[in-house]
Amino acid sequence: MRPILEIENLSVRYTIGGGLLNGPANEVRAVEDVSFSIMPGETIGLVGESGCGKTSLGRAIVGLQRASSGVIRFAGETLDFGSNRQRVTSGLQMIFQNPYASLNPRMTVEQIVGEAIQIHRLAGNAADRREAVVRLLVSVGLDAQHAQRYPHEFSGGQRQRIGIARALAVKPRLLVCDEPVSALDVSVQAQIVNLLRDLQEAESLAYLFIAHDLGVVRHLSHRVLVMYLGRVVETGSSDQVCLTPRHPYTKALISAVPSLLPTHKTRVVLKGELPSPLNPPAGCPFHPRCPIAEARCRTELPLPREVGASHWVACHLAHRP
Amino acid sequence: MPLLEINDLTLEFGAVSESKRALDGVSLSIESGETMCLVGESGSGKSLTALSIAKLVPTPPARYVRGSILLEGRDVLTLPDRELHRLRGGLVSFVFQDPGASLNPVMPVGRQVMEVLELHRPKAATRAEVCRLLALVGIASPQERASSYPHQLSGGMQQRVMIAMALASNPKLLVADEPTTALDVTIQAQIMELLADLKQRLGMSILLITHNLGVAAALADRIVVMYAGQVVEMAPALALLSDPRHPYTRALMESAPELGVSTARLKAIPGSVPRLGAFPSGCRFHPRCSIAAPECASRDPSLEQWPDGRKVRCPFARKGDAV
Ligand SMILES: Nc1ncnc2c1ncn2[C@@H]1O[C@H](COP(=O)(O)OP(=O)(O)OP(=O)(O)O)[C@@H](O)[C@H]1O
Ligand SMILES: Nc1ncnc2c1ncn2[C@@H]1O[C@H](COP(=O)(O)OP(=O)(O)OP(=O)(O)O)[C@@H](O)[C@H]1O
Ligand code: SF4
Ligand SMILES: [Mg+2]
Ligand SMILES: [Mg+2]
Repeated sequence: MRPILEIENLSVRYTIGGGLLNGPANEVRAVEDVSFSIMPGETIGLVGESGCGKTSLGRAIVGLQRASSGVIRFAGETLDFGSNRQRVTSGLQMIFQNPYASLNPRMTVEQIVGEAIQIHRLAGNAADRREAVVRLLVSVGLDAQHAQRYPHEFSGGQRQRIGIARALAVKPRLLVCDEPVSALDVSVQAQIVNLLRDLQEAESLAYLFIAHDLGVVRHLSHRVLVMYLGRVVETGSSDQVCLTPRHPYTKALISAVPSLLPTHKTRVVLKGELPSPLNPPAGCPFHPRCPIAEARCRTELPLPREVGASHWVACHLAHRP
Repeated sequence: MPLLEINDLTLEFGAVSESKRALDGVSLSIESGETMCLVGESGSGKSLTALSIAKLVPTPPARYVRGSILLEGRDVLTLPDRELHRLRGGLVSFVFQDPGASLNPVMPVGRQVMEVLELHRPKAATRAEVCRLLALVGIASPQERASSYPHQLSGGMQQRVMIAMALASNPKLLVADEPTTALDVTIQAQIMELLADLKQRLGMSILLITHNLGVAAALADRIVVMYAGQVVEMAPALALLSDPRHPYTRALMESAPELGVSTARLKAIPGSVPRLGAFPSGCRFHPRCSIAAPECASRDPSLEQWPDGRKVRCPFARKGDAV
């Protein structure tokens, strides 16, 4: 089987400032030299602190943001931002964090979900389209009666279901889910997470699941990618990353997750905060906050190396227990 | 005498004829030095309860129908405005979820701390005291940082400044409404550690509102669970987390995915939180409850105190039942 998505050496940079009032232009290095692939039906969890580049990576993959360099291949075809963009990206959809802001308040649910079907000409006539919309609503746990209502008449969890129905309308093979449950109550979160699981089994969908809640990520993902300051610092199976993390940043991240019952684990509390992607530190991007950094970490960028079966870590000292 | 005692607090919105009851008979007390956590889903009335402590809910549109809030024995709801002003940010101070929205964007943060001092502790309104407070909440090089504007600080540092402002008046009660919800887990851990440390060093009482049970587990002495404007369970933190009794508390805990445990499906609570004004009859949780009996739809359960001291609003959640 070949991967549904292959990413090679992808970088995303934004230019800010420039012009008379803003001084010299600056470059934000949001995503730096990221490579990975996703198999059909697989879920990759993507975690990391706010501002580390998760959304930028997701947007680049679905073609909402132009990559500065690198290759994105979807179902074997390279996304070139030119003529094939729409055809390639129709198999790729994104659902967004904020179920309140991402739906047009003046459109009915039928119009919202039906719009994509119309754009991609996936239904013959209006009746077919209506039928397709109802089928989609049912598949996400809503029903036909909801079709004529407006977004404000729904709860947060229901709105996220509408967002998912809209994304599913074009029969995607990969869904980029950008913090789809962060704004929801835990009880409703669980409903959406279970829904995503059921849909995956039914349609063999692949997910890139972005979240800052490691519990949810662990629950849903086959593999996990940890980003820090634009770079992937650790990848492995969900168990490898969550139970036996090897990168000092991942260790701190995992130990920071509050647990329901008192545990005897010692919490690694990181000093300081994510440095600016405007001028990333030399050497290992994590060294200014790393509790075990050595001289070499300040000058030399650590390359990913395999520390266990398909478990990769970018840290000079990863071989230490 | 407890520092804070809320009795039968009942709050409504809307005209009397079609009133919507947002808080219904909420009672709780906080001892001095105690940390109490208030948990529950969105819309359950956590913030309204917390804001009421300094009568910060605008009336109208809100209306207090019954109840009292005794702070050091005096009823906040009947205090004259002048005394209320002294109270706010004095004896009790508040920290809110979004530090960006609560700080003044065009004033250096040190100046903002100074303003609180001038109002509540004029004798201590010195630059040295501002720096001491900033250092207390873990801001490095407070001398220089005092002249920073909010946008020059990260979210975690802004929240530290908010906490420094809240501490400036030497409050006896710190009310923190979702202080870490807008922050990352790593920064959340820093703020939680800070609160635990301040609690130890200053002996303050803390009322912490959160929807994250893990955060509650790390800090609380006691936990109060709210649902649809009512308290449904109240118990010492360890007892509540290791042996939740109310079906809603159990469902809430089971729906949170835990890092160390992998399960095929999360136990979602079916349905959603009822909207204000549309609370179900009988037990408000009954449409979503897994053990609901037919009578739950009609009979309003009362909050009963059990022999072990915990309080539970469900006649079917007997002590010792199989979990
Ligand atoms: N359009 C833009 N122009 C300039 N800089 C941007 C733009 N979008 C994002 N950035 C910057 O790029 C970096 C990565 O941002 P991104 O939104 O990808 O992070 P993230 O990991 O999704 O964070 P969060 O968890 O807060 O959503 C940040 O420093 C951000 O400020
Ligand atoms: N000014 C107001 N007018 C009308 N209804 C209000 C007002 N303020 C709050 N409410 C309603 O009262 C109920 C309880 O609100 P509250 O803010 O206390 O909830 P909460 O438990 O803090 O929820 P969250 O977790 O979302 O912050 C909600 O249904 C809310 O919509
Ligand atoms: S009283 Fe009945 S409906 Fe309410 S929580 Fe208990 S069992 Fe469920
Ligand atoms: Mg993002
Ligand atoms: Mg609130």
